[in-house]
Amino acid sequence: MNIGLILLSICLTGLVIVALRRREPAGPVLKRMVEQFAKLVPRMLCALLGAGFLAQLIPQQAIAALLGEDAGLIALPIAALTGVIVPAGPVISFAIAALFAKSGATTAALVTFITSWAIFGLHRVFVYEVPLLGASFTRLRLVSGAVLPLVAGGIATLVGLVISYGTAVPN
Amino acid sequence: MPTNFDPSQQKKRVNPAPTGEKSWAADLLADAFGWEFWIFFLVAAGFGVACYLVRGADVMWAALQSDLDMLLKLLPRLLVALSIAALIWVMLPRRWISGLVGSEAGWAGLVVATVAGALTPGGPSSAYPLLAVLGASGADRGAMVAYITSWAILGMQRVLIWDVPFLGAEFAILRTLVSLPLPILAGLIARNIPLTLTLRPITGASDAANSSSGAGVAEKGQGA
Repeated sequence: MNIGLILLSICLTGLVIVALRRREPAGPVLKRMVEQFAKLVPRMLCALLGAGFLAQLIPQQAIAALLGEDAGLIALPIAALTGVIVPAGPVISFAIAALFAKSGATTAALVTFITSWAIFGLHRVFVYEVPLLGASFTRLRLVSGAVLPLVAGGIATLVGLVISYGTAVPN
Repeated sequence: MPTNFDPSQQKKRVNPAPTGEKSWAADLLADAFGWEFWIFFLVAAGFGVACYLVRGADVMWAALQSDLDMLLKLLPRLLVALSIAALIWVMLPRRWISGLVGSEAGWAGLVVATVAGALTPGGPSSAYPLLAVLGASGADRGAMVAYITSWAILGMQRVLIWDVPFLGAEFAILRTLVSLPLPILAGLIARNIPLTLTLRPITGASDAANSSSGAGVAEKGQGA
């Protein structure tokens, strides 16, 4: 039992109480859950195994050297760039983030990586954004959001100077 | 390609017609072990073989063991997180979210868009159709950018399902707090940047030609 599971359980309990009070039918909720579970878990298994094997192939010192304490502020642009070139959903990108965390990446670098991936994720751009809103919106959004990963990493770095809260704890 | 623009339609996927019970199970299986899964599988297997050849059998088995351990530890958290996501998905009306954005202008508009984006449940298949509705109903470019940026980096569902199980609660809280001002910043930049925006008409993604002939909702780079 760790803090993450406790936090999630509190959230769930609150929502279940609300749902019971509103007499929500359980069917759609269970269905949605099973759908998501079936979609995610088999892929997650493969992504975690793939990332684990990859970790043995790429020496962890190399990752630590680029994204760890010793890299200093250069870790942020490297993390941002890495986020741009991961053109996949959260299954892969968070498996990679956990791998980075295990290899000694700093919290600020992880924040930068996730923010960058969330903003640039090319898979979403081509499947949803361009068809639904048009390329000019994509251009506006990417230009407006381009600095955010570094801003996020910068704030995280400053926070890290004051308190040592928020260290990632991959399993 | 999603041509489904009405957010209320999204519920139909969750709750298909009663006749669809059997095909739902078949769809589920196809979703779980379709071609996408096999790509994941082949890539993982490829790395496994490479690991075996480069680092030897012992290292490969040790990696396999520790990854399976990690997955076992992840599963309970993931199960709880997915239950939360499913409850929010069913209980939070997406219509209400689209009504929320556009009800305010100026700074308040950006803040509301950020909150709405963070609350929007589901993946890109629910957030992007909502964004298209927002654009068509006249939300300003800053609010649109703030909304989708907030959904992408602050989405509560994403934080609960991904950040917390994979990287821990402390990290998830830190990342959320650090990211709070970012969608507003993106919205402000979007309002003040001299780029033309021509939104695709909401009638359907197929008639892309219309947007070039002027049928799209054109908007000048004005701050609201």
